[in-house]
Amino acid sequence: MNIKTPYLTLLVGAALGAVLLVASMLATPKAPASPIAAATPAPASSAPAQPAPSSPTPTATAVANVPARANYAGEVNGGGASVAISIHHGQAIAYVCNGSVIEAWLKGTAANGHLTMTGKGHARLSATYRTKRAVGHVIAHGVRYTFSAPAVHKPSGLYRAIAIVRGAKIKAGWIVLPDGSQVGSLEPNTDAAAPSATRAPVLDVTTGTAHDGNTVLVATPISGVTGSGF
Amino acid sequence: MATQPHTVPPRPARADSGAAKIVVPSLIGALVALTLGVYGHLHNPTGYAINIAGFSSPGAVKSWLATGAFVFALVQVGSALVMYGKIPRIAAPSWIGGLHRWSGRAAFLLAVPVAVHCLYALGFQGYSTRVLIHSVLGCAFFGAFTIKMLILPKSELPSWTLPALGALVFTALTGVWFTSAFWFFSTFGIRH
Repeated sequence: MNIKTPYLTLLVGAALGAVLLVASMLATPKAPASPIAAATPAPASSAPAQPAPSSPTPTATAVANVPARANYAGEVNGGGASVAISIHHGQAIAYVCNGSVIEAWLKGTAANGHLTMTGKGHARLSATYRTKRAVGHVIAHGVRYTFSAPAVHKPSGLYRAIAIVRGAKIKAGWIVLPDGSQVGSLEPNTDAAAPSATRAPVLDVTTGTAHDGNTVLVATPISGVTGSGF
Repeated sequence: MATQPHTVPPRPARADSGAAKIVVPSLIGALVALTLGVYGHLHNPTGYAINIAGFSSPGAVKSWLATGAFVFALVQVGSALVMYGKIPRIAAPSWIGGLHRWSGRAAFLLAVPVAVHCLYALGFQGYSTRVLIHSVLGCAFFGAFTIKMLILPKSELPSWTLPALGALVFTALTGVWFTSAFWFFSTFGIRH
């Protein structure tokens, strides 16, 4: 056996790496096809007409089974949007989104099994939460939704990405449901007078990244259980 | 090698002095690890790299390749223990050296495409503890492997050198595997 074969091993490995790297560079699409132009779900127009049902908040006689830390995610009643709520020791972050223009980030407090939250554009959320479920209503973009969202675990839940591109602050949010489906919206300029959201690029939950054109969005999980994002 | 003049002792000595035999490969290995890390950090991750068809996601491909590399790494440890006579009542068979060399080559070559995908598509990241440990150990693994390959052909080394380096390489790969493939399979289930 030639005593120098370890050098050969290194060279072969380096060559393999170089070939794969060059091939990847050649294969990488210069401008990834915009996923935004695709499906734009029928927004707002029909939803506001929905009559406000009587408060779905169950009457809490005894405040039992109230978790200090929890994550909830689910579709709103009737579908058409998803909502995710994370509770971490009295603090709460929520996101509601229809994968298009209707979306809102909300912040608020959680106490005694009840949530009260507000966000930009007169967004409001009110809910009752227990170990297994959060039930309530949310108003975002002038649309009122009711929901009954189950508790979820990683990788399901809420993700947020913020990036600065050419001076504009991009903010994206994704709700990943227990069945693996996801819905997300992206605000191309959060400081604009009237932020208009669009469909967010697909989030790869294995890597926590999404690709908006040439911009890589690195998403942070918002988890009340771990405290991530709070 | 540019680093050599600094490591050669001041007295006229053979180029292959004891220190240089270990220090120069170590510096080169450290440079390899550092280069990978700096590239991964500076390069704007593309989120895309060529991959093997037939899997559900790049994560699945990489998890299976890494698992293959890890299995070969276990063969590495086992065969090394036999070669060094550390397993009672098992004499080293004649083919054990070949098994050790080829399982090592296989593990290394399986790990290379994974590393290329990691560095090109994802980059050196630190947004969670797992990801940071994975990034650091991934770079360290290739550095440690480089040192081991460069030192292998040298003769008259201290007897601890190769076992220590082997342990370093194996430890790094184990950490890399647990923070990636093991995490992937335990989070998403074992899938193709």
